[in-house]
Amino acid sequence: MSGAIAAEWVKARTVRSTWTCLLAGAVLTVLGAVTLGGGRATELVREGVTGARLPATEGVVSAMAFAQFALVALAMLTVTSEYSSGSIRGTLQAVPVRGRVLAAKALVVAPVLFAAGVVSGALAAVANHALLAMPVFGGFGTLEPGRTAGDLLRLGVFCALAGVLTVGVGAAVRSAAGTLSVVFMLMMGLPLLLMMTGSQAAVELATRLPLFAGLAFMGSESNLTGGPIPYPAWQGLAWLVAWAALALAAGHAVLRRRDA
Amino acid sequence: MINLANLTKRYGDRLAVDDLTLSIRPGAVTGFLGPNGAGKSTTMRMILGLDRPTSGTALVCGRPYHEIERPLRTVGALLDARAVHPGRSVRGHLLALARSNGIPARRVAEVLERVGLAAAAGRRAGALSLGMSQRLGIAAALLGDPGVLMFDEPVNGLDPDGVRWVRNLMRSLAAEGRTVFVSSHLMSEMQLTADHLVVIGRGRLIADAPLADLLVATAVLVRSPHAGDLAVRLAAEGCEVVRRAENELVVTGAPVERIGDLAHEAGIRLHELSPREPSLEQAYQELTADSVEYRVSEGSAR
Repeated sequence: MSGAIAAEWVKARTVRSTWTCLLAGAVLTVLGAVTLGGGRATELVREGVTGARLPATEGVVSAMAFAQFALVALAMLTVTSEYSSGSIRGTLQAVPVRGRVLAAKALVVAPVLFAAGVVSGALAAVANHALLAMPVFGGFGTLEPGRTAGDLLRLGVFCALAGVLTVGVGAAVRSAAGTLSVVFMLMMGLPLLLMMTGSQAAVELATRLPLFAGLAFMGSESNLTGGPIPYPAWQGLAWLVAWAALALAAGHAVLRRRDA
Repeated sequence: MINLANLTKRYGDRLAVDDLTLSIRPGAVTGFLGPNGAGKSTTMRMILGLDRPTSGTALVCGRPYHEIERPLRTVGALLDARAVHPGRSVRGHLLALARSNGIPARRVAEVLERVGLAAAAGRRAGALSLGMSQRLGIAAALLGDPGVLMFDEPVNGLDPDGVRWVRNLMRSLAAEGRTVFVSSHLMSEMQLTADHLVVIGRGRLIADAPLADLLVATAVLVRSPHAGDLAVRLAAEGCEVVRRAENELVVTGAPVERIGDLAHEAGIRLHELSPREPSLEQAYQELTADSVEYRVSEGSAR
């Protein structure tokens, strides 16, 4: 198993796309957070509010709701590039126990995306804090180390779980386009669509999908939800974990049954 | 040692591999011949555990492939040289394989040296020529210093030097006591490389014999304006006669001299009387005549 993990790590670091995705994820998180944080501060300034306090991580979680797709692409490519190039046969020759291949991919993607989430979030927080400290933006910026650290950790966990979910979907679907479609629908499209219908059942379901489960877990006061998420943060984590586990199980079932 | 027992693979209602039973022994190069679509690659994929047999078993060193711990140390295989991530470096590709099976990283440099790719170690796999890709695939197969080696069409895309190199490599690997199983559709290549041949057509075993045994059937080509009359006479003498064209016969069962004498006694003019060189190509065509998957019917293009 350790060999399989070591191999997956070598594979991930020896393709350019991994680094491109990590860079894109960081850039998108920073830009998104600065835009959202700056926008919030400008709004407060315009309303004539004084003495407001905005945390450095203001807007970072919402930014990650979008930036995550750069990291999802990284996770996706660890699986789908094997099928598009045919190298999956070489991989399975080296590690013929198929569950082990999938586990190794998930175990490499999870820490890489955890780190990517924490680092991207930290960069965004630093940029955001510098911006919000400026008088033009009301000087509302505050930096509470404990809260910031907690926010960043949860951001990392969310990215890691999104990555594991993507690995599972990738193994089940095999093509890049298909994987991205499914993951996008789970992480963005479907929850927003359901939310828009406004029906009680649809909203209930939407809040259990990975996007809102993640936002609940990360404690977002995002306006994406259009209302509070009706369950505590730890349940958000539980739903996220459940989705990731379900995707992995689906991926494993397909990988085991189908010819490579 | 590879053992196949009643190995069968069915895709829908098509039998790709049909009840194949054979053993591939160590210390020899075993050629695996068959027309396109005969089931060679499917058989190899089943041996490697990539495709699941519909029924029957494929064992390598007495075990199903997926039960072999660190299999690259036991079996090295080249299936499709192009099946490599195009953006990964040659070195990175081999290093990932080495890591997966606990093979020391220095083996990467060793096998690259052995296949003549040392200078290309930093190049992206997608930038290699087909010939270089084949060498990379062979390097990957050799990585774990395995006792069993399988190559699917290894000389595809190689220049004449490369072809000679692969031939010598196969021979030397077999001479070291390893099991070498090579598929090809190039009979001439197999005639030079293989000790033993397995021929399949439409998924069924057609021949499993030493190369020498397959080469003995010698035929004589006869051209005559009275080929029909001659065929009757030769058949009466117990020869086997195939009429290939209006005035062309392929005769087995009698030496050239006897056929010439018979024609002379009957007063039949001959335009050609030539023994055909015993070639694998010929033996192969006769063996597989009934089992070519995609035959172009003559005149169909008109």
